[in-house]
Amino acid sequence: MTAPTDATTVREAVPASAAPRRFTVRGPGRERRRRRRDRAGYLFLLPWFIGMLFTIVPFFASLYLAFTDYNLLNDPKWIGLENFAEMFRDENLHQALKVTFIYSFVSVPLSLAAALGVAMVLNRGIRALPVYRAVFYLPSLLGASVAVVLLWRYIFGLDGIVNGFLGWFGIDGPAWTSDPDYALTTLIILHVWTFGSPMVIFLAGLRQIPAMYYEAAAVDGASKWRRFRSITLPLLSPIIFFNLIQSLIASFQTFTQGFVMNNGGGGPANSTLFYNLYLYQQGFNQFHMGYASAMAWTLLVIIAAFTALTFFTAKYWVHYDN
Amino acid sequence: MTIDQPPTAPRPELNRRNLMKASGLAGLGLSLAACGRGFGGGGEGGDGTELNMVWWGDSKRAEKTRAALDLFEEAHSGVTIKTEYQDSGPYQDKLATRFAAGDEPDLMAMRMDSLREYADRGALLDLNEHADAVDLSGLSENARNLATVGDSVFGVPAGLNAIGFIVNRTVTDRYGIEIPDGDTWSWDDLAAFAKEVTDASGGEVYGTGFEPATLANIVVYTRQRGEDFFTEDGELGITAETVQAWFEMVEAMRQEGGFPPAGFFEQIGGGPEQSYIATGDLASQIIPTNNFLGYNQAAGGNLALLRIPGETQGVRRGQSVDCPHLWSIAAESEHKDEALQLLDFLVNDVDASKATGTTRGVPADSEVAEELKPSLEPDDQVATEYLIGLLGEDLPRSYTYPPGGSAIADALAAIAVEVEFGRQSAADGAAEFISQAEEALAQ
Repeated sequence: MTAPTDATTVREAVPASAAPRRFTVRGPGRERRRRRRDRAGYLFLLPWFIGMLFTIVPFFASLYLAFTDYNLLNDPKWIGLENFAEMFRDENLHQALKVTFIYSFVSVPLSLAAALGVAMVLNRGIRALPVYRAVFYLPSLLGASVAVVLLWRYIFGLDGIVNGFLGWFGIDGPAWTSDPDYALTTLIILHVWTFGSPMVIFLAGLRQIPAMYYEAAAVDGASKWRRFRSITLPLLSPIIFFNLIQSLIASFQTFTQGFVMNNGGGGPANSTLFYNLYLYQQGFNQFHMGYASAMAWTLLVIIAAFTALTFFTAKYWVHYDN
Repeated sequence: MTIDQPPTAPRPELNRRNLMKASGLAGLGLSLAACGRGFGGGGEGGDGTELNMVWWGDSKRAEKTRAALDLFEEAHSGVTIKTEYQDSGPYQDKLATRFAAGDEPDLMAMRMDSLREYADRGALLDLNEHADAVDLSGLSENARNLATVGDSVFGVPAGLNAIGFIVNRTVTDRYGIEIPDGDTWSWDDLAAFAKEVTDASGGEVYGTGFEPATLANIVVYTRQRGEDFFTEDGELGITAETVQAWFEMVEAMRQEGGFPPAGFFEQIGGGPEQSYIATGDLASQIIPTNNFLGYNQAAGGNLALLRIPGETQGVRRGQSVDCPHLWSIAAESEHKDEALQLLDFLVNDVDASKATGTTRGVPADSEVAEELKPSLEPDDQVATEYLIGLLGEDLPRSYTYPPGGSAIADALAAIAVEVEFGRQSAADGAAEFISQAEEALAQ
């Protein structure tokens, strides 16, 4: 912490000539400000560093445990690749993969489309935009929470609001949450409803697109659809890309919806047995912590693979402005 | 970054930046301290002994438990008891991780179906080796057997309960329907009764409804047929025929209308207040009897408590006295003697039981239970009498859940839904359940 004195000593030491002197005077000052700024940055990072300590150890421990038979109570026993071999035989795991893939590949595009649609409507300069933005964002804050799932019970129950509505048209609605043929669909709808955070990002992206492109296109007689396809989509593609990666990673890790849906069971009939939910059951209900660790690392590989794939395809459809 | 200020360093200026730094340091210190102390672990409190005791339950149960512990602390100066509780789901997770971290509590609530997961791995203290410290002589053989594995006893029932059938008299009175005799009714009587209610109410109220996949329910039915769900040596005793008959019986009631249609039950938890008997959708259902008070309050205070049907028609009695909640001591507890003292107090001291009431079921010691009864609320007395009645009867022994029990419960839950929605026949579902259950036990 000697910096404060530097400026004066330097000023006294450096002789006459004005221009270089001003330079040398400002130099250490700037350096000092930079260091001060860095320090603040590190301070802000401090919680993360501390958090990291608690993450990094379990992170590597779980890698080791993935190759062991570990029941939490006794010492882990090294069993090599046996956990991974078991994953090929475990039918519940295959069901969990199926559920997770269907959920991800259906709900992510749907929710992104919903997010983009609402963002475009909001971008047309309606009054009270912040209010609408907040209202549409709200479900994302509540989306996976227990209270909302309970609320959905009243909406989607056998005698719930949805079926009451369908009843007016003489349609006998199914049991949306307890029928194995519909439970996952219901969760997908629930997920699409929580498009708030991609929507906010889309909205910001849309505002970045210069209006002159649209004006020029309008002068050339381009249709609305044409303008959307040739201007909005390409210019928004980096944002779409970002949202796609974010949503994909998050959806592979879905847990709460399946957990709350059926008292932690992944029911009805394992139709909402998400990968992470099954992992949790294996680890904490059945004490197969080694197997659960192996599952966790497999999920990491799966997510990494799909993320890499998305990145690979990006060069064909993501346009950067340069 | 200069986090470490040597002691001789000039006192830093009090400005925003230094404050931030200081608070960061404090945060680091706090979290390190928390880390060192373990996750709520019980260290030494001053010069006395601090016992760590954990259970699942709500704040009402906590209040009653605390009242009993205060009595113990008064009588044993130098021993303080640090308690923790939460819901049963998170409780299980936390207990498992605490054992994994070598930070196990001294005295803990143990679920019947988890007992052997812990006991078989040497995590729990064998109370038989400390028979002089905890007096279990007042327990009926059935009650003692609940936590017996081989020659060892790994827990004491914190309370006893059973399942019972509750019927809402308000509903049956409204439609002028007679409730069958609860001690002798058969499953056919239940079906006829249920159909009568549904018909009389024009479908407003279903006569009965219960979860066919709940182990406690199917276990009674299995025992009535002369089989054990789990056998003494931890194998699967139930046959595919019994599973099939159980599914078919429920489906038949569903066909007739006495039982609600497929998909009626939402698989979202909830206490008595959210139960279908409280909402008026069902006239009868199965409950654990220690919850009778709560259900009766929620359902309007006019419930009758009946036994499970089929008790007098089956090959043998099906009902058993169970225990929602065992007390176990960790094998690695550093304060075994004090923990054993506390356990003995909770089991045998009448005042302790008067303080806790029947929040965990009827006290396992029958003398204590009898002494407790007059001080209970009328609803709790009904449930207690029901249980004391069962205790006095000659019921076949039930065996502890083998490891893998939770996977079996999951399998039954999934298959029962398949059958409920007609995606699988009762026979196919039964066969698949047996094969999945056997696989789970083999692991």
